[in-house]
Amino acid sequence: MRLGLALWLSYLKRAPLLIVLILYTTVTGGPFLWVTAMSLRTTAEIFDSRYALPTIWHWSKFADAWTKANYGTYFWNSTIVVVSAVALVTLIGAMAAHCLARYHFRGSRLVRFVILSGMILPPQLLILSLFQIMLNYGLYNSLLGLVIVYVATQLAMTVYILEGFFTQIPQDLFDAAQIDGYSQFEIFWRITLPIGLPAIFTAVILNFILLWNEFLYAVVLLTDDDKRTLPLGLMRFMGGHQLDIGMIATGLMISIVPVLLIYAVTSETMIKGMTAGAVR
Amino acid sequence: MAVVAIEGLGKRYDGDGEPAVKDFSLTIADGEFMVLLGPSGCGKSSVLRMIAGLEPITAGTVSIDGTVVNDVPAKNRDIAMVFQSYALYPHMNVYDNLAFGLRRRGFAREEIDRRVRDAAIKLDLAQFLTRKPHALSGGQRQRVALGRAIVRAPKVLLLDEPLSNLDAALRLNTRNELIKQQAELGTTTIYVTHDQIEAMTMGHRICIMRKGEVVQIGAPLEVYRRPANTFVARFLGAPPMNLIAAQLDLSDAGATVTLESLHLEIDAWPQSTPARAGAVTLGIRPEDIYETPPPELRSRPGALPVRVVAVEPLGAETLVVVRLASSGEELIARVGRESRLVAGGTTSVFLDVGQIHLFHPATTTAISGFTARLMRSDA
Repeated sequence: MRLGLALWLSYLKRAPLLIVLILYTTVTGGPFLWVTAMSLRTTAEIFDSRYALPTIWHWSKFADAWTKANYGTYFWNSTIVVVSAVALVTLIGAMAAHCLARYHFRGSRLVRFVILSGMILPPQLLILSLFQIMLNYGLYNSLLGLVIVYVATQLAMTVYILEGFFTQIPQDLFDAAQIDGYSQFEIFWRITLPIGLPAIFTAVILNFILLWNEFLYAVVLLTDDDKRTLPLGLMRFMGGHQLDIGMIATGLMISIVPVLLIYAVTSETMIKGMTAGAVR
Repeated sequence: MAVVAIEGLGKRYDGDGEPAVKDFSLTIADGEFMVLLGPSGCGKSSVLRMIAGLEPITAGTVSIDGTVVNDVPAKNRDIAMVFQSYALYPHMNVYDNLAFGLRRRGFAREEIDRRVRDAAIKLDLAQFLTRKPHALSGGQRQRVALGRAIVRAPKVLLLDEPLSNLDAALRLNTRNELIKQQAELGTTTIYVTHDQIEAMTMGHRICIMRKGEVVQIGAPLEVYRRPANTFVARFLGAPPMNLIAAQLDLSDAGATVTLESLHLEIDAWPQSTPARAGAVTLGIRPEDIYETPPPELRSRPGALPVRVVAVEPLGAETLVVVRLASSGEELIARVGRESRLVAGGTTSVFLDVGQIHLFHPATTTAISGFTARLMRSDA
């Protein structure tokens, strides 16, 4: 009897935490489950009953979306743009962060300020001038143009994340490598990059998720259907008079899966890397 | 192996008014173990980093084997350095840490393997070659750091406080290991430390620094026995030398020094000394003060009446803090482990007056070349 009471008391103590967790899970997981259910139902079924679970599992919608609705092209466009942009921004950002963290040259504070100020400028402010520049250089309506814009817009955040970590790498390691005979670039490549891997992981994943979902620059700078990225592809089913909600849900699932996979595979490594921290 | 010659070396960091190193000159012989000793912030690490090529030189020259290396990058100076933090590459195992420098210098794979394994055996690291640094103890990390330096057989080996992160027992072992390795390799070695015991036990010579300047250079016992000024006198020795105000009298008959009830006659008073009659600083090491005078001092004991302030038995010996009866100045005496002194009591301690040092009170420099003997004691 006493034991039962103690058990109930312990549940009661944890109740507020459990309630918050349940609410949070509902708010974040609910929409995801809803979209998952809708992605396997037709638009007609959805209009009949919005919140119902699928009675017939329409897996064929994924094949239709991939082939007939051109999602395959959008997916590859997104992959090409995002993978190239993330690779470039990581490399350039890591080199910039290494320089800012390691070398105290004249004007280094100004350079840092200029790069990091990119984080506070809202994209809406830049979009018109960017459109004009892209047009002038023949980069408008090209995936290369979008890659360049993505690299430029994500550089500030990448430098911010990486510099913070690189600064913590003890100077002695760089001095030791210098005495061991390595050049400044080799030191960046063989010391900073491998030791900074946890931070690079974080930057890669953050940039990947942000760019995979990026809409504003893509919608302004791309016009051809064949060049659309996934977020733009979803727009095809949002006409002025009709809304193919079932197909949008299927498209959303296609675009979410890579992000989920990346997170599932790397999150543990990322957290381990960030918490291990032992660079000495 | 190489001769390192430093001439008028200076270092000024941006934004600092006072230079970190001033007119520093020192020549380190081939195969010599030189220790740079001084308190924190005295510029000894700056000197080492300038020799290594990690810090630009503001003034003066550094030469290795007669070649000025001021503008030679660190990687081309053929030096190796052991850092206080060990600076092991955390993402590489012990083997790769040891081989990293050799690979860059284009050694053949077999040669690298031979050298790494030789160093590992010599430093008792053979069973840890596949481990990452974080899986090693402090002593093992320190040995890897040393291994990384010696595996390249550099001309000059630089060590920047390499033992300061080790516990006391390990420090003693590693100290002996370092002495052994340096003797075997015969590499010209420059060792930076703030620990006077390391300096005394390891160095062929010690260069004592203060505020960026050389204060004294000499063999360990030489600087211990003949300190150039009160700074060296206090810095070397634990507990440090006692410094007490005394009275100097100069006459045609010679010089005499009076300390409380003791009157000392100074033979061979150096005429060139700028010291004048009046106040003088008298120095005496704790081991030259006795509770009971040893046989060789019995005929001329310099007794000083004192009050015992504190007694610190350390096992092998006892430190006694005493206060002079009239002036109230405190002295520390290192007496035998069987001391019968108790705090609060009064007694007399005996000075070996032949071992006293005199320092100019204003400049703090040592007055050297004299011998002192007891003239009379009023106690």
